[in-house]
Amino acid sequence: MSVPALQATALSKSFGGVRAAVDVSFAVPPGTLTAIIGPNGAGKTTLFNLVTNLFPVDAGEVRCFGTPLAGRTAAEVAKLGLIRTFQSARIFPGMTVLENVLAGAHLLAGSSTLSQMLWLPAARREERALIARGEALLEIAGLAAYRDAAANELPIGAQKLLEVIRGLMARPRLMLLDEPAAGLNDAETAELASLLRAVRANGITLVVVEHNMSLVMGVADQVIVLDLGSIVASGTPAEIQANPRVVAAYVGAEAT
Amino acid sequence: MEQAAQTLIGGILQGSVFAIVALGFTLVFRVTGAINLSQGAFCILGAFVMFSLEQTFHWPVAVAAAGAALATAAAGFLIGAGTFVPALSRLPASSMFILTAGLLTFLEGLCLVVWGSEPYALPPFSGEAPVAVLGMRLPTQGLWIVGATVAIVAGIWWLLMRTALGEALRACAENPAAARLMGIDVERMTLFSFTLAAFIAAISGIAVAPILSFQFDTGRFFTISGFSAVAIGGLGSFVGAVAGGELLGAAEQLAAGYISSLFANGIALALLIATLLVRPSGLFVARRTRREDVRDEHRIYHPVVRLRGARGLLFATVTLLVVTGLPWVVSEGIMSSLVITGILFLAVLGLDVLMGYAGQVSLGQAGFMAVGGYTAAILATNYGWSPLLGTAAGLVLSLGCAAALSLVTMRLRGHYLALATLAFGLLVDSLTVGMTEVTGGPSGLVGIPAFTIGAFAFDTPRKMYYLVAVLLALAIGLLLGGIRSSFGRALQAVRTDQTAAAALGIDVPRYKMAVFAISAALASLAGSLYAFFFHFLSPEMVGTQRSLEMIAMLVVGGEGTLIGPVFGVALLTLIPTMFQPLAIYKTLAEGVLLVVTVRYLPGGIFGTLASRLAR
Repeated sequence: MSVPALQATALSKSFGGVRAAVDVSFAVPPGTLTAIIGPNGAGKTTLFNLVTNLFPVDAGEVRCFGTPLAGRTAAEVAKLGLIRTFQSARIFPGMTVLENVLAGAHLLAGSSTLSQMLWLPAARREERALIARGEALLEIAGLAAYRDAAANELPIGAQKLLEVIRGLMARPRLMLLDEPAAGLNDAETAELASLLRAVRANGITLVVVEHNMSLVMGVADQVIVLDLGSIVASGTPAEIQANPRVVAAYVGAEAT
Repeated sequence: MEQAAQTLIGGILQGSVFAIVALGFTLVFRVTGAINLSQGAFCILGAFVMFSLEQTFHWPVAVAAAGAALATAAAGFLIGAGTFVPALSRLPASSMFILTAGLLTFLEGLCLVVWGSEPYALPPFSGEAPVAVLGMRLPTQGLWIVGATVAIVAGIWWLLMRTALGEALRACAENPAAARLMGIDVERMTLFSFTLAAFIAAISGIAVAPILSFQFDTGRFFTISGFSAVAIGGLGSFVGAVAGGELLGAAEQLAAGYISSLFANGIALALLIATLLVRPSGLFVARRTRREDVRDEHRIYHPVVRLRGARGLLFATVTLLVVTGLPWVVSEGIMSSLVITGILFLAVLGLDVLMGYAGQVSLGQAGFMAVGGYTAAILATNYGWSPLLGTAAGLVLSLGCAAALSLVTMRLRGHYLALATLAFGLLVDSLTVGMTEVTGGPSGLVGIPAFTIGAFAFDTPRKMYYLVAVLLALAIGLLLGGIRSSFGRALQAVRTDQTAAAALGIDVPRYKMAVFAISAALASLAGSLYAFFFHFLSPEMVGTQRSLEMIAMLVVGGEGTLIGPVFGVALLTLIPTMFQPLAIYKTLAEGVLLVVTVRYLPGGIFGTLASRLAR
């Protein structure tokens, strides 16, 4: 069996008395889309923050393509090919939409800062190539019309899409998306679903925290259900929909 | 033994002022999350008003003191209501910092216009005869200072812990949004805390004024000491503010008494740096800190401005023609001012990359000018080094200082770099003034040769003008190349969202260090050229006043534009030269311009013009 894109082993984390992650273990096979679902406060975003080393874990280990992440800074985690988005779209205000996308390509820059400062032809060529790829990605996401707009003036749904595009610009091997469909309307959600399928088809492993069940069930290969910091169930979308514990913990909670 | 006790008592008395300034910082910080750099200036404003009421209008001491404290509180109220409070909800934290630096400059300028630049002293409240306490002779003023401090600390404690108003203030400090929902008028509470901070600053300033001599710009020493006290004691902790202030006062007095008064400023910096290294959160960690994970969605981030394509080319061509032709049409006097403008622009350019692009505030840019200027000038004048080599040596030393400062502040978020740079600038100030044998002391270093490259001497303003123009063109060319590429995007990402930047693989500390080094290098180069151009260098030419002035130049001209600062530099350099009688209003005008620009023209002169043109 190939090395998992992401492997968490016995992760635990408490904030004061709140146990946000309790002995969480899972593996994400490369090239698949895993959805993490669960009621509000289940610990989904905390799990992302633990996996990307934003918070230190109390116990347990995370490996990305076999490499342990312990002790690495957020920037070093990104260098391993793990790129994440945030629950509240964290685009860079004051930069244009295109500049935001190009900022995603930070790790790809082959030319040194010095060669950029000296306006060397190689550096300018690289910059033009980046711009072309950024524009192509904006086109795919339907954001091409906003190319030179201030990113913070976009509607929230577009900002979330922009954040995904920005992450893709980094050519990640593994991408963690925190509620990408929040703030999107039905048509935009359908577009997002096809974007996610295309990303997966390009060999990029995806882990998605999402509330939108039709999106999750439509695109996920594997679903992990969290409640109160623990994994309640995991399996294919069909298995999850048939699991009575999930209905109790998640669907039941939603209905009330 | 008795001398040691006396020194320690002197330290406690001085520390009392630091403690009250620190308390004012803490009060405003807890409610607003902003650091108010103008805090120390209110101490001095109080002392000045006291002087006028008591000495000029012959009011009785008690009435004059009450009048001065109330007048200062009224000034605090007006300034708070007119600038600080309305700006708070609109500006990002770094701009608030600049705004309060503007308020500090404004208050200093106001004192300069009203009371002039000479030092003042107040007589003690109850005569010169010392009293004996526990076998030691104490100046009676010491009892007044201790009494005022105890009264203020007790009063603030009572207000916060025992009154409904205090409860509302604490609610604002803990969670402004929730406080608002509970019907608390957060703006009014902010204004109240700002005014109260000015009021207690005035009381401590009035009490301490008889034991020191003060002048228009003494306030900034109280600001830096109060700020250091806060950092040592723990930002946001009231106990920490008082303890930090007393500790700092005692340490400074002991250092001044037993080593040299030269090191009084140095010890503040050393204590501060030691605290930041060993215990970054300070001695007393605030029980509750403000939530830092809440992002300020509604605040304005002025976009970085650029002119594209044909417009940019046209602009560059016109600029090139004007810059080349200017020396042939202006008088000799204006020529010199243009050279000064160019040299200062070089230093402000560095500040623009640091502040405008990377969002890091430096209040000590002139400190690097001093390092570069004095190193080059001393080596060239006294040791026969070539100016070019001297300049290079200055650069190396400046980069060393910058590296040391960034290593200390790198891991810390928020205002620590600004604090460390302010302390650095003040330390350099005291060294350039104090090391008389090396630097010439307050009267300056004379007989500095002209800048030379090989056998060619840049000994006229016109030659110097072209040298500076070429250096500027090179610097702007290099920076523009960097800014337009991944380097510039990384800096802007760091400016607006460090967490998101790091998640994209941007090594945030590394970029902060790189940009701080660039900024220090440009300032150092400017300082060297400055010395070689004037053939003279004195501490106030490259002192903290200059650092604050350069911030005004940058912000007024337009942050994050590279070209913009030249408008601010020219405005604040050429106009005072052309209208000499107005020179005394310069500091005041800088303060007003800075505050107005931060508040109403976030892109500065150039940013506003360029965004109109680009539309």
